[in-house]
Amino acid sequence: MTAAATTTAPAKPRRPLTQRLGFDRFSALYLWAAFMIFFGITQDNFLTHTSINLVLTGKVVVAVLGLAFLIPLAGATFDLSIGALMGFSVAVTMALANKTSIPQGLCALIAIALCALVGFISGFIVVKLNVNSFIATLGMSQVLGALCILVSGNRTLNNNEATGKPILSASYRDFGRRQLLFDLPAYFYFMILLAIVVWFVLEHTPFGRYMFATGGNREAARLSGVKTNRLTWSSLVISATIAGFAGTIHTWKVGVYNSSTGPGYLFPAIAAVFFGASQLKGRPNVWGTLIAVFALAFGVKGLQLTFTSGTEWIEPLFEGASLLIAVAFASRQGIVKIPKRKPKTDATPPPATGAGG
Amino acid sequence: MHPLLRIEHLSKTFPGQVALDDVSITLEPGRTHALVGQNGSGKSTLIKILAGYHQPDEGYTASYWRADGTEQPLVLGSAADAEAAGIRFVHQDLGLVEMLSSVENLALGVGFTTKAGRINWKVDTARARQALSEIGFDDFDVKMPVGLLTASQKTGVALARAMQNWENGATLLVLDEPTASLPGADVQRLFDAIHRLKARGVAILYVSHHLDEVFAIADDVTILRDGHLIATQPVADLDHSRLIELMIGHTMQKVVASSARTGDRVLISLAGVSGGNVANIDLDIHEGEVVGVAGINGSGREHLIPLATGQIPTATGEVTLNGVITPPYSPGKVLAAKSAFLSADRAVQGVVQTLTVLENTTLGNLTKHTKFGRILKKNERVEVKTWIERLRVRTAGAEVPITTLSGGNQQKVLFARGLRLEPTALMLDEPTRGIDVGAKEEIHSIIDNAAANGAAVLVASTDTDELVRLSSRVIILRNGVIAAELTGADITSENIEHAQLQSKPATDHSSHKESA
Repeated sequence: MTAAATTTAPAKPRRPLTQRLGFDRFSALYLWAAFMIFFGITQDNFLTHTSINLVLTGKVVVAVLGLAFLIPLAGATFDLSIGALMGFSVAVTMALANKTSIPQGLCALIAIALCALVGFISGFIVVKLNVNSFIATLGMSQVLGALCILVSGNRTLNNNEATGKPILSASYRDFGRRQLLFDLPAYFYFMILLAIVVWFVLEHTPFGRYMFATGGNREAARLSGVKTNRLTWSSLVISATIAGFAGTIHTWKVGVYNSSTGPGYLFPAIAAVFFGASQLKGRPNVWGTLIAVFALAFGVKGLQLTFTSGTEWIEPLFEGASLLIAVAFASRQGIVKIPKRKPKTDATPPPATGAGG
Repeated sequence: MHPLLRIEHLSKTFPGQVALDDVSITLEPGRTHALVGQNGSGKSTLIKILAGYHQPDEGYTASYWRADGTEQPLVLGSAADAEAAGIRFVHQDLGLVEMLSSVENLALGVGFTTKAGRINWKVDTARARQALSEIGFDDFDVKMPVGLLTASQKTGVALARAMQNWENGATLLVLDEPTASLPGADVQRLFDAIHRLKARGVAILYVSHHLDEVFAIADDVTILRDGHLIATQPVADLDHSRLIELMIGHTMQKVVASSARTGDRVLISLAGVSGGNVANIDLDIHEGEVVGVAGINGSGREHLIPLATGQIPTATGEVTLNGVITPPYSPGKVLAAKSAFLSADRAVQGVVQTLTVLENTTLGNLTKHTKFGRILKKNERVEVKTWIERLRVRTAGAEVPITTLSGGNQQKVLFARGLRLEPTALMLDEPTRGIDVGAKEEIHSIIDNAAANGAAVLVASTDTDELVRLSSRVIILRNGVIAAELTGADITSENIEHAQLQSKPATDHSSHKESA
């Protein structure tokens, strides 16, 4: 029609150099490369096989927790209980292995199932009791902390008191620890596998699409026929299950439970997800999360090598600063939703800016 | 005797549109001045200029008179100057902080009384009680959160807040649709408060759609139409039909032959539907029939489609779509019954701003593009592209953020979202609100086509010309019930507007006036 002919798409403005190089969308990759080059030159034992493997395996639990956090976050639901769930999973696995004769692999599966149940309860609280997910999962974390104390008897679970031997058998731990390609342990590849599954689900299935729609505009999604409540609920079950699996990885990797297992992992995981959300597609995504985890990990490693002694402060400083910077960028680009005043519906003629058809 | 405030030759031009054209208004102390006009007549623009939200065009003159009788020039378009001139506002949404008490809400306006840095609650509570009882609201606990008060009590708090310190200069009170959220019985209470304020010499500018209220409360009335001043008269010189005539002015002829019923099957059937402002509506819509719903705000027009489509939870009665009874508050079931609907608020209830045009189009139903749990994005893209062409969506592509599109084109995407489900029942709430003329006509032809293909269509709209253009039958709601029905050549803007403004038979309006 004539109207169609007269309306032309606005000419694409020439994008500034920083955008064309993708400093905004690929900042974590640039940062990672910069760390590798800088510390590779300044520190002799930075680019060694051992230290690279150490960094990669050291962050698997955080990365898996990041994947757990990612799924509800796509639907604008926060699961802050993932750290506590991971600790709970470790405590349950080790306590069962310690006190019963259940096969240890089954102990781990029971622990994961219990985590899924906790996720189901969180989902009930969020969806049916209409409690903000932030508050619901924060409260759930504290409850889980109490359960961990009960289950573990408030002791470090490491060796069986009677026999003096480690609680977890070598065959159990070897299942996850055995070295595969590049001398990396099996659980590293489990993480990669999980990442692929989560990526597929979020980016290539209706479930993922509906999650992002729910996160973008819950009411519009609901009115389009998306079962938003069911989605929120199941996303919390999934995140809890993955957090439980993160606990299993911890049992393979470390094989010890103490009271600090779990909660401390929450922050770096969330930091990685938010940093990752500013990367690539500009919304919470799997590869951005993994890149963020490992880019930061190599940065920390490099700094630790540079300041040889008393380096404990580096990691939290790095994680905290990166979260603040990442979220500041993300909220500027509108990736992270900052609550805004509801647009007022108004019957007056809008000051039309000539945005014709 | 001098007036209280006088504005002359006020104009306001928006790009491509004159909202106000040489309007003058004079307000007298102790009188209630009603401001009436249809949607788009310019009355909201006038209020927003008074409040300092819009800048007026150059060339106006305005002044106000102090208590001592000195004339002061008034700069319009500045909130601070309006405040200094003693102009106070109670907006439609009242603007109260629901979590705070009446005492706190009142203190937010004028500040807390403090003693050594600590709030002196005794003084502030007494002050709040005093302010509320002065306007006749002394029947509730001023320390209770405002959110727990009734609608009329909230209105009282908002009035009291606006009138605080009025002795220091508050001289004009602007009430913008103050009864929009008030149940009928509570309106009287508001009127009593207005009478008390009038007795104290306050001038009141009363904006309302409800002509009953104008006759009940106003001394003078100013009528705007299409941005022009039509008349300013004492209300006593007018009667209902004369006022409606002044507001409507033109008569719009039915220009386009609308679709007529093509079959006998009833596809949309409402039986005893109630909820919100709607009371017990029965309505059958046949194949190929487009039924328009008209009514002023508060008449139930704004709730009929949300109730029928499960958007709001309070529905009772039975909704049958294509022979399937759909339960209340289940939009998914409505969609499953070969039906589609559009919500009135596109930004809040329709568009997912974070997704692309493609993702917005297929939102809600991806089954035909899903194989083994995976979305076949190629197929999805092909389908969306055909919709972009068919509905002439102006977009740089299928996979650009939907926010890059104009309002009219976003609306077409929402039409595509609904029409791709091949619905035979369509329920459209304000389908062209805030959309420019060109896109509007395109959307109207989309609706025509759907009806021509045998769909039953229900359209609720505040735009009477739109109802004339689309409908083969128009129902007019008043006070939640169907008050009139128009068919064929009787469907004209004039008839619709008359029918929606027509009041109940005159009751006791004169009595309030005498008591003033």
